[in-house]
Amino acid sequence: MAAADSCDGISTSGGGWEKTVTLVSSDDARFEVREAAASLSQTVRRMIRAGGDGGIPLPKVDARTLSTVLEYCNKHAAVPAPAPESSSAEAAAVDLEWFDKELMHVDLATLCSLIRAADYLEVAGLLDLTCKTVADMIKSKTAEEIRQMFGIQNDFTPEEEEQLSRENAGVFE
Amino acid sequence: MAGQAAGTRTSRRSSAGRCPPSTAASSSTPTAAASTSSAADPHLDALISSALSTIHRALPSPSVSVGGRLCALPDAPDGGGPDRLSCLPDALLRDIISRLPVKDAVRTAALSHRWRPVWLSAPLVLYDAHLLPAPTDDIPSRVKRADSDAAAAAVSVILAAHGGPLRCAYLACGNMDGDRARVARWLQLLAVKGVEELLLINRPPLQIDKHLPATLFSMAALTRLYLCFLRFPATAGLPRGAAFPRLRELGLCSVAMEGHADMDFILARSPELENLCFEGHMFPPLGLRLAGRSLRCVQIHYSKVKSIAVVDAPRLARLIVMNSPLKAGGSCTIKIGNAPSLHLFGYFDPVSHVLQVGSTDIKAGTLVDARAMVPAVKILALKFHFRVRNDAKMLPSFLRCFPNVERLYIHSEKVNEPTGKLNFKFWQEAGGIQCVESRVKQLVFHDFRGENSELAFLKFLVESARVLEKLVIVCADGCFGSVDEANSKVKKNLFAGKKGAGGCALLVLEGAKEKEGAPWPYDRGFDFSRVDPFEFVVPT
Repeated sequence: MAAADSCDGISTSGGGWEKTVTLVSSDDARFEVREAAASLSQTVRRMIRAGGDGGIPLPKVDARTLSTVLEYCNKHAAVPAPAPESSSAEAAAVDLEWFDKELMHVDLATLCSLIRAADYLEVAGLLDLTCKTVADMIKSKTAEEIRQMFGIQNDFTPEEEEQLSRENAGVFE
Repeated sequence: MAGQAAGTRTSRRSSAGRCPPSTAASSSTPTAAASTSSAADPHLDALISSALSTIHRALPSPSVSVGGRLCALPDAPDGGGPDRLSCLPDALLRDIISRLPVKDAVRTAALSHRWRPVWLSAPLVLYDAHLLPAPTDDIPSRVKRADSDAAAAAVSVILAAHGGPLRCAYLACGNMDGDRARVARWLQLLAVKGVEELLLINRPPLQIDKHLPATLFSMAALTRLYLCFLRFPATAGLPRGAAFPRLRELGLCSVAMEGHADMDFILARSPELENLCFEGHMFPPLGLRLAGRSLRCVQIHYSKVKSIAVVDAPRLARLIVMNSPLKAGGSCTIKIGNAPSLHLFGYFDPVSHVLQVGSTDIKAGTLVDARAMVPAVKILALKFHFRVRNDAKMLPSFLRCFPNVERLYIHSEKVNEPTGKLNFKFWQEAGGIQCVESRVKQLVFHDFRGENSELAFLKFLVESARVLEKLVIVCADGCFGSVDEANSKVKKNLFAGKKGAGGCALLVLEGAKEKEGAPWPYDRGFDFSRVDPFEFVVPT
């Protein structure tokens, strides 16, 4: 297939030429991204294949969220794949882990937007990271602590609560 | 998509540590005694506990862990924003819940009406060690009776309540012989709910004279199965349809079987099986006939093996046989038939193994022709007694069977009663060995003690290996005052009168203190992204 019109190119620091694509957020911000990075999103990858004019529209992702998603993609697409047993592979893995951890230092609203965006864009690694972050925050907390942390309203009646604790007694006692 | 994103393939246990050799070796002994005596025996129980601690380090670790290191910025206390998490679609909430240890997952049902039904349909990862009072990702070597009873009761409740799918169940904390009906019920539920990965570990007091229910063979979604200290279902008389249609990885740790027919049955009924592993297998001694178009890696550790015949395994790339305990005088025959992809083979041990390639027995002085060669092997590992003359005389014939070996690993075995020494002349007179002369790029020599027989072989190798790029010598613990001492001994003997080591890089290293004790994690062999699982990792 011929490359879509939305594909341009930038020269890389190494003097090479890398193909780029333009992504357009729901609030009309345009992002020029290396195709290799954008292709971490299966959704974008399919749209590149389909072709089109004037950039790839992503009506479900706002500019702020998209810029974080692209930060993730740029970092993860940049990593070459060294032999898995080499020490450089280990160092790269440590660096990525640190990057991922730092990237998750966002407020809860942003985290939820990122989960939705990663799901919509089908960026498997980011979906994994964001869901894992929520899971890690839930682990070994009481129901009340979890509700407080995420602002979840307890809408059970006292009778329902009693029934719940009876049902779960087998697991918690 | 969201529902499938949680990683099911697990990585190697990062906590894999070292343990004393006695512990590792003992993993082979419990079954032997257990099958004959069903009475509780504190000594036996202790043995099994220590064997468990070895085995658990080698097993794949669960995909869900109790610890967490990721965290977003929590909202200001009491000034929290709206509840955006609960607004996520069910599929995403399920994805989050499937990453939680089961207790935490169940707890989410008590958050609000919105959350109430979600965990029941979130893919379940049930790891019974997560149900203990102090949840852990390890398989604990000991569990108090009251705790294992409580965990088992919780497992029953969860299995009955949850609607599936069941991604993974690790049931490792209780005795499976005491309440057979309960185990049968569990297996039934696991089968109905489509368990994909199942690990069952039995604990003392063992009574492994009773078979596991044949329900195992009705788990159609099963891709990975590990069993420890159990008796495999009798396969004779099973219906035609009994099979593991999707099983890709099977690990049997001290699992008793009726006879060789059971293993033949499993291999014949597992059309997708790629990875097969035995640990501490005792009864009956394995007589393994490897035939199957899907097999890629077979590992056998600390097991009694009578014979291994690679009959017809076109995809088999790795055959790893380690530490087979045998009665005095017993030996294991390794026959290599049709194995056109066999890339890696080790550890061959001439004391306990007899090699047959095609129809040729490989002995000292055997004339090796093309029919007795395994040309695909690139990585070869062997144990060797350099001071036992008959063993050493066999080495040239053995190496001639593998003409294309590029990486050679040799473990020099300690000999209490040497029966002869082999000097440089012996190796010179042995004649050309094709792989050494034109293929071997890397030699790793473990447990170097500085003996003349070892040095004579190394000198021969360095002088005849024309494409050798790297020679790594790992000293046996306590044989040298320092690495420098070993280094200068090697240089003096191997490279005397030369300016350097030619094009070959020499690395002399200190040996690890407890070399034998480190368990070999199974996925080290099963992980094909790792080019060479024997790769010696230079300690930093």
